[in-house]
Amino acid sequence: MLNYLKVLATALVLQGLLLQGTVAQATDLSDADQIVSQANLAAYYAAEDGRSEARMIIKDAQGREQKRQFTILRRDRTEGGEQDFLVVFSRPSDVRNTVFLVAKKPGKDDDRWLYLPGLDLVKRISAGDKRTSFVGSHFFYEDVSGRGSEEDSHKLLETTDQFYVIDNHPLDAGSVEFSRYVVWINKQTFLPMKIEYYDEQGEAYRQVEVLDTDVVQGFPTVTKSRVSDLRSGGETVMEFRFFKYDLGMEEDVFSERSLRKPPREWLRRPQ
Amino acid sequence: MAEDTFGVEMFIQMAISAPLAGLMIFVLMWVFFRSFLLITAPMLVAMASVIITMGLLIGQGYTVHIMSSMIPIFLMPIAVVDSVHILSEFADRYKPGDDPKKALRDVVSHLFTPMLYTSITSAVGFASLAFTPIPPVQIFGLHVAFGILLAFALTILLVPAFIISLSPKRMAALKDHTIGEEKEGRLGRLLAFCGKLSIAKARVIVLGFVAVSVISVVGVSQIQINDNPLRWFKDDHRLRVADKVMNQHFSGTYDAFLVLEKTRDADEGLLSTLDAMVTKADNPQLIQSYQTIKGTAVSEDYSEYLQNLADALDDASYSDQENEALWLAMLEKVETAQAGAKYFLTPEALNYVQALQQHLNQSEWIGKSNSLVTLLKTVYRELQGGDDSSYQLPKNSNAAAQTILSFQSSHRPDDLWHMVTPDYLSTALWLQLKSGDNQDMSRVIELVDQYVVENPLPQGVSLNWAGLTYINVVWQEQMVSGMLNSLTSAFFMVLIMMLVLFRSIKIGLLAMLPLTVTILFIYGLIGFVGKDYDMPIAVLSALTLGLSVDFAIHFLERSRAIYRRTGCWQQTVAEVYQGPARAISRNAIVVAVGFTPLLFAPLVPYITVGFFLALIMVISALVTVVLLPAVMNGIKDKQSLFSAKKETEDA
Repeated sequence: MLNYLKVLATALVLQGLLLQGTVAQATDLSDADQIVSQANLAAYYAAEDGRSEARMIIKDAQGREQKRQFTILRRDRTEGGEQDFLVVFSRPSDVRNTVFLVAKKPGKDDDRWLYLPGLDLVKRISAGDKRTSFVGSHFFYEDVSGRGSEEDSHKLLETTDQFYVIDNHPLDAGSVEFSRYVVWINKQTFLPMKIEYYDEQGEAYRQVEVLDTDVVQGFPTVTKSRVSDLRSGGETVMEFRFFKYDLGMEEDVFSERSLRKPPREWLRRPQ
Repeated sequence: MAEDTFGVEMFIQMAISAPLAGLMIFVLMWVFFRSFLLITAPMLVAMASVIITMGLLIGQGYTVHIMSSMIPIFLMPIAVVDSVHILSEFADRYKPGDDPKKALRDVVSHLFTPMLYTSITSAVGFASLAFTPIPPVQIFGLHVAFGILLAFALTILLVPAFIISLSPKRMAALKDHTIGEEKEGRLGRLLAFCGKLSIAKARVIVLGFVAVSVISVVGVSQIQINDNPLRWFKDDHRLRVADKVMNQHFSGTYDAFLVLEKTRDADEGLLSTLDAMVTKADNPQLIQSYQTIKGTAVSEDYSEYLQNLADALDDASYSDQENEALWLAMLEKVETAQAGAKYFLTPEALNYVQALQQHLNQSEWIGKSNSLVTLLKTVYRELQGGDDSSYQLPKNSNAAAQTILSFQSSHRPDDLWHMVTPDYLSTALWLQLKSGDNQDMSRVIELVDQYVVENPLPQGVSLNWAGLTYINVVWQEQMVSGMLNSLTSAFFMVLIMMLVLFRSIKIGLLAMLPLTVTILFIYGLIGFVGKDYDMPIAVLSALTLGLSVDFAIHFLERSRAIYRRTGCWQQTVAEVYQGPARAISRNAIVVAVGFTPLLFAPLVPYITVGFFLALIMVISALVTVVLLPAVMNGIKDKQSLFSAKKETEDA
């Protein structure tokens, strides 16, 4: 019942979007590249900028938990192109004000910095491998900032009532740990709702699921998701709260200066 | 890996050694009795006992282990012993033309009691292994005990029936080989000489054995308890070569873990501080929400409780804007408590671990060590640009937590949890020892104990050992005390049985003499030679106990019977050195030679057991045949010793 209501709500929002002319699809799409590109926009480029607070619960194979809490700021330089992320940790308190700054450059290497206040150290992180753990969680950096859609070849496997099912193969197989992955993209919102990663043997070993979504200022938004390590049994649940779009952040919020001096103005919870 | 390879070798050995032992025994018995037909009986008994016992073992679902694989080799020689007694006696007693049934009845009637008792004592010796805390040894002991009793039953049922079924012609042929040959034979002459010697030089012999026993006690005190599964292989076995090479090239392949644990005492001060803050605000609605927060945050795990409390206070600061400052102030208190609860991120804890680790690294037994401290220092150095001068601990808890956070942003973030638990209340110091010997492990344990005495652990911190090398040490200790227990209990059980059997304290004690001297001698030898006391060696004690007493029982029982009949000590000695001494010697040789195939096995425990078993047989036979008459010779009142007076009068 709740799901129906959600679908209904989403449909209503979609009506609004239709009127704005942003997404206007009356019939099913058949071009995989087009679907993926729209999904990319929906998942990572909603509005011009955005802010939210994330709580991460990392559970290892033995069920032992760690929590992390951070605020994430985003600003798009070009729609579907370059964008900046600033991640500022607030909890546990011993990592408070640890900052990640990412300048995402699709088609090129991202610039990434880490600031550790306890060591008063700014560290440039090599851009080489984006598929490493994000602060000990089961999320990868790439899951947080998005994987460039030009890095894979896409094929539409199936169109169901709700989803476009897309098969993705990496163009540079040496740069990733998966041999392919399959994405279920919501036909209405274009949010990727489930991703399954397969290894060389064709075994699914990693899964990303959207557990909850919401509509924030007219934008369908993921508010809760989970990454499961199907081999070890560990998982991380990430919950986003206090979403706000179109805050009007300037470019200098994402400068290297913000590492040592986080922009209080934007980190404060919006009322 | 050593354990796995051992398993393969073990099965090969089982398939080779056991049949080989059977073959040796067969050949030897042929030398003694010169009749394939006659010795078929003991072989059948031995085969049946081994097959039924192993069938029982496997039928119960036990896996074949290093110990249980030795069951056939132990059982086979012991199983033929009773038959050898019957055959030997029968061959000595039976004269052509006699009624074989009558001769056999005589043999069985005066052999039944000693055979029963020797079987029971042997069984008790092995069954006493059930008192050890080691399951494979328990299973081994109980099954061998079962096999021995089974062999006795089979012998009593099968061997006389087998002999009776032989035709008189065959019986006569049998006769030709035995008595005539044996009386003139080397063994016969040797034994007769032994008898004369032990009586003539009784005092010297007794003193000699006392001296040997005293020296043996010194040897026993020098026994080194040490075991290392890799030493189960011969020196040139490729596994041992590989082990040596690996330990030269790498830091050590034997892991031990020192686990430091901080007991967490829930911080009562925190809650009272929070309560006071809320009370001071004097706002009924706020107190209400505070109570709700406290109620929902409850968790058995203290760190989870603090986390829940922090989350709820954080939410409250947002939803209750009016009191934001108070909620945030309370949140700060909780977070301070949270940071303090992560004990093994604090400089106090990390510095202690660092100092302990540095101290241990200087010891010659430790190749390499690893810990949370090593990880923190390494990551810290890399963060600082990789210069060796930055190989140090982060300066405070926050810096340590952030160093860890940057380490976790990797391909294998979970590697951290090998070193510390996620609540940072327990950490492991991973030591790689250069040798897997328990003695070396014990030295490292001593080193740590000493360090902790000189540098007391921080308050609330406890220290424990873990890891296979350490478990081996604990296991050894258990094994040794278990073996000692089983040996003592078996000794007294056998003593009681001897008292019951002979109904005489003197003879009962005499019966214990050969096995006591033999055990002392064997373990004294092990001490002097420097052979480490390990599991196979430990099991030998039970075996000695069970087998040495057999000889004494036969010898004493027959001596007493003969003395009662003749009433003359000189004649008793002369007779005893004909029949019984010969049977004992034959048996000792059969069993000793039966174990010799073990000497050619590539597995050290088999060689050890084989060598010492053969030695035990020879020593205990020698002690019985030489020492017992000498001691008895020294006892003046033979009448009362053999409680013969009354019976001779009756006669």
